[in-house]
Amino acid sequence: MRTLPYPKLAPALLASLLAAGALPAAETDDLAQLRDQLHALEQKILVLERKQEIRDEDAAAAAKAAPKIALTDKGFTLASGDGANSLRIRGLVQFDNRLFFDDSGIVNNSFLLRRARIITEGTFAKNYTFQLVPEFGGGNAAGATTPSILDANVGVNLSPELQLKFGKFKSPVGLELLQSDSWTFFDERSLVTNLVPNRDVGAQASGELFGGKLTYAAGVFGGVPDAASSGNADFDNDKDGVVRLFATPFKGDPNSALGGLSFGISGSYGREKTASGHTAGYKTDGQQTFFSYLTTTIADGHNTRLSPQLDYRAGPFGLIGEYVRSTVEVRPSATGPKKTLANTAWQVGAGYVLTGEDSSFNGVVPRQNFDWANGTWGAFEVVARYADLKIDEAAFPTYAAAASNADEAKAFGLGFNWYLSKVVRVSVDFYDTKFDLPTGAPPVSTAAALKQNEESLISRVQISF
Amino acid sequence: MKKILLILAALAGFISASAKTIELLNVSYDPTREFYVSYNQAFAAYWKAKTGDEVVVKQSHGGSGKQARSVIDGLPADVVTLALAADLDAIARVGHEIAPDWQTRLPQNSSPYTSTIVFLVRKGNPKGIKDWDDLVKPGVTLIPASPKTSGGARWTYLAAYGQALLKEGGGEAAAREYITKFYRNAPVLDSGARGATTTFVQRGIGDVLVGWENEAFLALKEFGADKFEIVVPSVSILAEPPVAVVDKVVKRKGTQAVAKAYLEYLYSKEGQDIAGRNYYRPRDVEAQAKFASTFPQIKLFTIDQVFGGWTKAQATHFADGGIFDQIYQK
Repeated sequence: MRTLPYPKLAPALLASLLAAGALPAAETDDLAQLRDQLHALEQKILVLERKQEIRDEDAAAAAKAAPKIALTDKGFTLASGDGANSLRIRGLVQFDNRLFFDDSGIVNNSFLLRRARIITEGTFAKNYTFQLVPEFGGGNAAGATTPSILDANVGVNLSPELQLKFGKFKSPVGLELLQSDSWTFFDERSLVTNLVPNRDVGAQASGELFGGKLTYAAGVFGGVPDAASSGNADFDNDKDGVVRLFATPFKGDPNSALGGLSFGISGSYGREKTASGHTAGYKTDGQQTFFSYLTTTIADGHNTRLSPQLDYRAGPFGLIGEYVRSTVEVRPSATGPKKTLANTAWQVGAGYVLTGEDSSFNGVVPRQNFDWANGTWGAFEVVARYADLKIDEAAFPTYAAAASNADEAKAFGLGFNWYLSKVVRVSVDFYDTKFDLPTGAPPVSTAAALKQNEESLISRVQISF
Repeated sequence: MKKILLILAALAGFISASAKTIELLNVSYDPTREFYVSYNQAFAAYWKAKTGDEVVVKQSHGGSGKQARSVIDGLPADVVTLALAADLDAIARVGHEIAPDWQTRLPQNSSPYTSTIVFLVRKGNPKGIKDWDDLVKPGVTLIPASPKTSGGARWTYLAAYGQALLKEGGGEAAAREYITKFYRNAPVLDSGARGATTTFVQRGIGDVLVGWENEAFLALKEFGADKFEIVVPSVSILAEPPVAVVDKVVKRKGTQAVAKAYLEYLYSKEGQDIAGRNYYRPRDVEAQAKFASTFPQIKLFTIDQVFGGWTKAQATHFADGGIFDQIYQK
């Protein structure tokens, strides 16, 4: 706090003058009066300063208590003054152009609204959360798909170690699947994601242990076929149990080159019984179907998935790898013999941010946004990937047609990502997928997409906030 | 289905096993910080010995009126220990968080300790302050808190008003004239008692801090008896800070038993002793005897005797447009 130097000196000066007998009585009275006036003046100034201090404190308290509105690259947020209640609106739009080369004239070159979502999230009483995500994108030349509920769930956050989630959300099996649709290295996830469940309805407990060095998730879900998402209800009486453990053992150690290393294992076990085919089909990087079961094949019995997985980040370098083995018991018809089929896939993907920003599981944040007027360019990243998916040979020909399916797809991808800002990304990916045909297949597959290797160029403009 | 039930049972077991620590929030008024820091430790030890459970009591402090407003607005207090019964009545009436009969649930109108209003002056008492009349003399600067936000300040107001009303030749007109002069000598009103102490003690403003007895003792203890001295007026008011369990919150959190015990323990020997050591006048007779030398004898009147209770006093003096609003010139 500021003080007045003069009023503090004045009494001492006056005292020394009076002690020295230097002043006559009348002048002494005048000086005493002057001293009182100075003291009163000092008090007035102190009062004014204190009043201002109180006003500032009141204003700060009022500002703290007032509801907060924020529009940032994380969306539009309304929050109560204490932060215990909030509502956030986010969005995701992905516009794609798909080009395929030397593919016998299949009509598949297209513009596509790949994803279009309005994401609503909220928190109440600090510990209760919800998420509601409708999907308006997808579809084909015939029109958009019917808007659907992608995610709708309620969270109860008891502590960092124990959080509960109920509703529809991503089943915690596939590593790349758990990454946001916006920030995977490539526009399309790898072949591996064909073998893991997507969204499912269920209940899950998850949390962080040992200071975040180990995360876990365990849940009971309705159970869905490979690559499929659930509707809003379970499709049979049986359930799947899903468990995932993921460790980042050197997290927080600034001196360790392994600080960005995470690895873990996930798996699911359950029973399925349905009249329809076990999957809608496995797709290439270009999203063309290269394998599907016969429509008469039904899943009837246990299914298991096991997936060791790894993620590594070191500055601008990033690496992701995972392996999935998915087994399912199938019948060729309602009364046919039961057979266990095991399909496997693996992938390794890597990226390097040329402009030096950190590679991250949650996207790249450019040091400077792209700004034409100021000559700044955002961040650039190059990415590469190799993936392989093998179908169990025993699937042919009883459960899948040898003539129109591949039994293995091997895909190489090379891509370039331009992060104009934290929320806008432009990307161009080239994919080259080779197919092996099953025993008993003709030299050239009857499926148009499998008559040649798939060479595709998929480019995307995306906003995600 | 059996497997699911087993998983759920294991999950429930995990949740209950991890909930060994009970957390309480005590929303209190400004000057009780130090008292409840000591008391919370004592209660936690008592509860641990009794039940084996850990209790962590979080504290929130501010002007009593502001704190009541916060509870009404949703601050999840398990217990409130405020300066005025009127503030608890407001929580019961407006927010319905507390049952209307809260005052009958604990002994002595749910006030486990009392206090009164005294004067703190600068060492040597340069303005020669001896009693209430000295406070309204020209040239005397008073530092009370604002009765609009502070419970202690309302007790101060009522002490000043009441003594003018009761003294020989006094009456409503004299009391109103006195209280007008009183606040004319108060150039700054803090929102809480602790803020007023800061203004007087640390900022060096004013001649007399008029407020809580316990706050005056604490200022002497913390800043030195060589800088300040307490002046005890001939008459003052018996301030009865009340306490209550916030029924809605404890029901929701499942903390009824521990919150009730927390307040009941204030009446125990140890609770009363801690109150005395923190300059609150204990209710227990033995504790009163123990601290008799600390607390000077003062003629005390009660709010019921002079003002007809808190409800009437609140409406007459502190409600919007009440006497305080009429006499206080900003």
